[in-house]
Order: sequence, then C-alpha cells, then structure tokens
Amino acid sequence: MFVFDNLSILFVFLIMLGVVPNLFYSFGYLPHIKRKVHYLVHYFGFIISMLGVVIAGNALVFLLFWELMSLTSWQLILTEIEDKSTIKAARFYFFMTHFGFVFLLLFFLIVTNGNLEIDFNSMKIIASNFAYPTLLFFFAVLGLLSKAGVVPMHVWLPYAHPAAPSPVSALMSGVMLKVAIYGLFRFLFDILSNWQLEWGVLILILGAISSLVGVLYALSEHDIKALLANHSIENIGIILLGFGMGMIFLSLKLPTLSAFAFMAALFHSFNHMSFKSLLFMGAGSVLHQTKTKNMEKYGGLIKAMPITAFTFLLASISISALPPTNGFLSEWMIFQSLLGSSSIDNISLKLAIPFSVFALALTGGLAIACFVKVFGITFLGLHRSTNAKHAHEVNTMMKIGMILMSLVVVSLMLFTPFYMKLFDGVTNQLLHVSIYNKIFPNIWSMHSISDNGGIVSPLILLAGLIVLTLSIYAIYKSLNIKHRVYHTWACGYNTSAKTQYSATGFAGPIRRFFTWLYNPDEHFEKEVIPGHKTKFKDASFSVHVRPLFERSLYQSSVKWTNKMSYYVYRLAHFEQSRYAAMIFNILLSVLFSYRIFVHEFSWATLALESVVMIISIKVLLIGDKK
Amino acid sequence: MILYIFSIMLLIFLAPLMPSFMKMVKMYLLYKKPISIFQGYRDFSKLLSKEIIISKETSAITTIAPFLVLSPLLLTLFFLPPIVRGEYYVSFVDAFTITGLISLSTFFLMLIGLDSASSFGGLGSSREAFISALVEPAMILTLFSVSLMAKDLGIGQDGINLSLHFPSAHIASFIFAGISFFILLIAENGRIPVDNPETHLELTMVHEAMILDLSGFYLLLIESAGSVKFIIFASIFVSLFVPFGLNLPVILAILVFIAKLFILAIIVALLEVNIAKLRLFKVPNLLGIAIVFAFLSLITFYVLGA
Repeated sequence: MFVFDNLSILFVFLIMLGVVPNLFYSFGYLPHIKRKVHYLVHYFGFIISMLGVVIAGNALVFLLFWELMSLTSWQLILTEIEDKSTIKAARFYFFMTHFGFVFLLLFFLIVTNGNLEIDFNSMKIIASNFAYPTLLFFFAVLGLLSKAGVVPMHVWLPYAHPAAPSPVSALMSGVMLKVAIYGLFRFLFDILSNWQLEWGVLILILGAISSLVGVLYALSEHDIKALLANHSIENIGIILLGFGMGMIFLSLKLPTLSAFAFMAALFHSFNHMSFKSLLFMGAGSVLHQTKTKNMEKYGGLIKAMPITAFTFLLASISISALPPTNGFLSEWMIFQSLLGSSSIDNISLKLAIPFSVFALALTGGLAIACFVKVFGITFLGLHRSTNAKHAHEVNTMMKIGMILMSLVVVSLMLFTPFYMKLFDGVTNQLLHVSIYNKIFPNIWSMHSISDNGGIVSPLILLAGLIVLTLSIYAIYKSLNIKHRVYHTWACGYNTSAKTQYSATGFAGPIRRFFTWLYNPDEHFEKEVIPGHKTKFKDASFSVHVRPLFERSLYQSSVKWTNKMSYYVYRLAHFEQSRYAAMIFNILLSVLFSYRIFVHEFSWATLALESVVMIISIKVLLIGDKK
Repeated sequence: MILYIFSIMLLIFLAPLMPSFMKMVKMYLLYKKPISIFQGYRDFSKLLSKEIIISKETSAITTIAPFLVLSPLLLTLFFLPPIVRGEYYVSFVDAFTITGLISLSTFFLMLIGLDSASSFGGLGSSREAFISALVEPAMILTLFSVSLMAKDLGIGQDGINLSLHFPSAHIASFIFAGISFFILLIAENGRIPVDNPETHLELTMVHEAMILDLSGFYLLLIESAGSVKFIIFASIFVSLFVPFGLNLPVILAILVFIAKLFILAIIVALLEVNIAKLRLFKVPNLLGIAIVFAFLSLITFYVLGA
C-alpha cells in the first residue's frame, strides 16, 4: 500500500524542507485570513495529501491522494473569496487539474488491468506487454505535466498561484510542482520500462520551450505573484531539460551520463523548491504590507523591510543562476549534461542539443533581467504609493519562516555533497549506477561526468568572492574616506517617485524586441497643454500582454466548441422533412464509403461519388440560404 | 606559482592602461592632442582622494554593491588562460562559470542604477539588462564551441591546447566563433557601436547612466571594474583566438601577449573611429549576428567537422 524506497524518502524530505519554514510563515500570516478554520483544514490536508502521493504504493492510493491534493489546493485558492478574479482562477485550476486527472486515470486503468490495488512491479509487467507503450507515455505526460505547468499546459499557473494566499502559493509553486516531477520519475522508471529515444527528445523540447516561454512572460508581468508563477514554468522547464537529457542518455545506453543528468534534475527540483518558496514568502510579506500585487505601487521597501529584502535578494541571485549560489550549481550540472552530448553519434540529436544550450543560456540572461526588475522596482528607489510609504517589517513568525527558508537555500549551496549523496542513492536505486565518487572525489569541488568535463567548486568560488570583497573593503576602510549625503542628481530636476523607472518601463526594450510573441495591447493617453504639441499636463500609459498560448490554444478551442455546438443546436431544430433528408444522406455516405474503402478503390468513382454527396447535401440538407 | 601571481598582477596593472590607450589612439586619429596613456592611473589616484557623496534616496545596496561589482571580475582574473608555458593556471573553470561571474557583477551594477530613484539610472539598467540578456547565450555558445575544438571544457586548459594544436582542421568554425566573440567583446564592454563610453547624453548612454550618482571611491570601484572587464575579454580573445607565442621563452612570451593586447585595442579603437553608434533597437541585430555565428560555429563543427 505504501512504498518507502529512496525515491519516496527523498521527496518526503523535499516536502518537509519546504513545509517546515512554511508552517512558521503560515502561522504569522494567519491573522490576516478571515476563514481561519477553512484555511487550516485545507492547509494541513494539502500537506498530508502531498506526502501521501509520494509514498503511495499502488494506483488507488496514488489517485486518492492526488485528487485530494488537487481538491484541497483548489479550496485554498478560494480562501480569499471576495475577489472576483479568485473564483475565475479557481475554476480554471479545477478544470486543468481534472483534465490531467483523466489521463492519469486512463494510464492507471491500462497498466493495472482494472485492478487498482496491485503494486508497481505488477504494473510494470502489464505495461511491458501492452502493445502501445508510447500511448501510455503520452497519458503520463499529459497527466503529470499539466500539473507541473509545462507549456502548453501552463496556462493555469499565472492565474491560480497569485490567487492563493502567499504561504499556499509558496507550497503550490515550490512543492506541489515537484510532486508531479516525482510522478514522472515513478512512472517512467517503475512502470514504463522499454523507453524510446523520442520520448526523451520530447521531454527535452518541452523543457526548452517551457523555460523560454516562462521567463519571457515573467518579464512582461507586473503582478509580482503572477511573475513568480511564470518563473515556476521556467524552472520546471529547466528541470525537464535535465530529465530529458537523462532519458536520452539512458536510451543510448550511457548510464553514468544519464545518472548525472537525473541528479541535476533532482538537484534543481530541490533548489527551485527552496528559492521559489522564499520568493513567494517575500512577495507575500510585501503584499501584506502594501495591500497590492501590482509592482508599480511598490518601491523603497528595503529601508522598511530589511529582512524581507535581503532574503529576497538571496533568492533572486539564486534563481538567476549566478555563482556561487545553489541555482547556479544545478544549472551548471544541467549545462554539463547537455554538453556531454558531444560524444553522441546521432546527428539530428547533436543539432537539437545546441538549441537546448541556447535556450538554457538565454533563459539565464532573461532571468537576470527579470529579477533585477523585481528586486529593483520593489525594494529600491522611492515608494510609489502611500501604502509602500507606511510599510514596516512583518511579524516575527513570518520573519522566522523567511530566515529558515534562506537557511535551506544556503545549505543547498554549502552542503552540496550531502545532497548529492542523497540523489546518488536515488539514481543508484533507479539506474543501478553510483557516480557520487566521480562527482565529488573530494568535498571541495564538483566534477562533471562527461569526457573532458568541467569542474566547479562552489566553496572556492564563495571563499574567493568573500576574500576579495573583504580585502577591497579593508582598503576602503583604511583610507578613511569622508562621506556626504546629498540628493540625487537629476540634471537640475527634482527626483520624485514619478520620475523613476517603472516595472513596465524597465521591461520596455525586451517587450519591444519580442513584440511578435507578446502582441501587446498598448493604451497611451495624454492631456496636451493647449497651444503646445509636445508638452502635456498628465499622461497615462498602460500595456497588457495577451498570452499567445492562451489566445491560440484555449480561447480558440472555446470558440470552436461554441461554433460546433451552434451547428449541433441547428441540427436538433430542423424541420421534419430535413431529418428524412439527413437519414438519406447518411445512408448514401455509408454505402459510398463501403464501396470506396472496403470493396474497391478508384479515384474516378471517389470523385464522382463525392460530387453526388456534395450535391445531395447542398440540395436536400442545407437548402437555400435565407 | 610566482609566474601565476605575476601574470595576474600584470593584468591588473594593464587594466587601466587599455581604455586610456584606446582613447589616445582615437584622439590621434581625429587630429586631437592625444591624452597620456597613463590617464587611467591619474583618474585612479584622483578618485582615491575624493570624498564620497551618497544620494539620500539610496539604500544599503549602493554602499554594498560597488564592492560586489568589482570582486567577481577580480576573481575571474584568476581563471584566465595562462600567458606563458609552464606557468601555474586554473585549468578547470568553464564557460558557464566565467559568464556567471561576469553576470553577477552586472547584476549588482544594474541594482545600483535602480537604487538612486533617478530616471537615468533606471534607463541605464533597463538597457543594460536588455543587452546583457542577449549577450549571455552567445557567449556560452561561443566558448562552448571553442572548448569543443580545444577538446576541454576548461577555459584555462583550452588556451594551452589551442596553442599546442591549432585546430586547422576546424578553421571555419574557429573563425565563426572568433567573429562572434569579438562582437561580444564590443557589446559587453560598452564600446561603439553598442554604447559610447564618452557621452553623457541620455539618448545614447547605457553604462554611464547607471553610475551617474556614484562618486569618489565607489566610482573608482566601478571604473576599475570596467577596465578589468575589458582586460578579461581581451585576454580571453587573444589566448583562445590568437593562440600563438605561448611557447616562447618567458620574457618574450609576456611581451608577445602584451603586444597582442595592444593590437586588439588598436583594432577596437579603429572600429570606434570608423562607425557610428547603433540605435538601441538595432543592437539586437548585432547581437543576433553574434548568436547566429556561434550557432554556425557549433553546427559546422558538428555536421561538417570543419
């Protein structure tokens, strides 16, 4: 009924690391929640159900906890029900999560032969005898990755995560998405055994696209929580880049490279859990003080909220993959495993992989731009609203939560060998190779596993940075330089909150460069002083980005369904004579298609019969246009 | 080990010389009275004795960040390819780490721009974020391509390998990577046509806009960071793409290395005199060329083996 192997224990550990600081934060946040009992019941239910999923030993328990996880998080989104957009977001989330659930159910019904209580080993036997393994793979991918928020099933994330209270956003984004990654490990290793090369390539492509799409939409966003939700899409993409490389290497019978890539994916899962939880907590503290999610109303918060600001800065550096933080280390590992591909013979794969390297590197660059924007606009400069002016540091419990989570971030950076040992236990169980000793011959430096691979040494980098910074600082102190405080030089004009850059303005060049993707809706109004052409009293500029996937995939499918249902409606309200005509047409088409497809085939009769069909439909069924 | 420390000291010593040298060459070509090559040192000592003026709108970031702008770049100096044969060098640091350290420095520089609540700072940060986001993929792809040709991912080791076995079989992809890296050298160091280091006009400036509110020692740190960054890019360029002269006797090898740096500086100065600055939204085209060349280099290496 339950399994407690290395994989399950590792994810239990991940969930606990994410949950414990969150508990403190959550209790600090509790006074601001109106429906306390509702919140607490679902909060603990959510945590227990996530733990349940990762230790589930058979399909029934897995599905039960999976559904419980979806339902409790759905109710948690509905905690602050006053907002109209919350209900819309919750409905969307409910729909998407059950869209995934259907595929999981189908998957399990096939691999268990209907007996949902058998364990994973028996499922493996049934799955290996199933004629269409790729179908099973697609079911698993659709079911799990719609929960993980991978393009094109990511659309619910930027709605659902901001709507939930901040501790819940931290849990959903930091921890719940990793449960889907757990599912991917469990299903692919313990149920589907005979992989094909294309599966790994598919995961790799999905990862590359998700990482780019996520970071690009994050840049254009100025709702701070929606921005972080978009970054979750990006980071899940990066995890899948590692996962996909692992799958490709395993299909090519390169188990050590594969183990390295899977360890990179696991490491990035841990890192994303830590810094994304911390970022959501920081965003929650800011939101709690300023009462708005709009970044354009923040500014200068570092003076009032130093602890929030510096923990947020730590997480920002880490998520931007800047050395020597943990985010950098895991992206370095993924980068190394992508570069390990230079020994592959398959030429089309070789060409696909530089594209992934490019996607990863561009993602890194854009993530830096994005987090300069978030940190700079939120915490630096002058306050842009009265609420931001009167903000002060949050209560002790919330501070403890943020500090504990930043300790998790720091521990992932400093004690990398320890975590690697844990991941090695998992890859040892799944792939039967242990590469810990190759990655860490000593605890100071981390080695890549590929031929002529690189080495990175987080501790030396960190020590070098600290020593250099301190020695420059010592020189600075020894010079005993005078200080003077004066106002900012703005070419003779006054500096005010309105003259500084806004979040929209900051992302302006990038938005303009990627116009084809954003397709922005710009509104620019200004009140010109009479008699002048360029001088104006007041002006407002707003820009709204229309998400491509939502527009093309979701809204157009809604439109098509509406259109179809209109025709079905018309069909149901025909005059009686037309029913007879319809039956006649159906009969005709059945006879014709029997003749064409089963009896004998010739192009001449096909053409003739098509013409007859079209005429008969036009004359009898559609009739004259009125 | 002594040579290793000596070469780092040499690079630090050369760093302020390069910008003044380029300016000197430019002024000479424009029939102006050229500044002294030691102008960099004069500015250095002048800034050292000046008082620091801090804007009252700024926060702790302005007092911390200048140190963190300089220190990652100084750390990068330790990981560069060797100048002479037989010298100790750090062989293992790869493209991703070096790019990361440079980005770390840029990250704090951009925060300084946003800290003073001036519209200029935000403008500079926004443009720098835009440019450096596009530089990063090109840089990683280029250095990756070179390290494939040199058969080692470590940049330091690549310098040795390339000087021992010049990749004449892969000359096409080698040249593509070289072109790409040269564009990056110009873009990352804010030279014409990407940025003009000499103007203070809000339409054109990128780097200068971010540091408008710094003075005294802080400005010194940022200015030194700028020159150190140029020397990093220049020495990577001459060690990887002009890999000659490493095997000469020690003194000669060092002289050849310095000569290569100065020739590169002359080329950059000539370019600056002869072309106009690009509009900001034309800059991605230039960086796009760098990315395309980096891709081309990788693909020619993989597919054609050339």
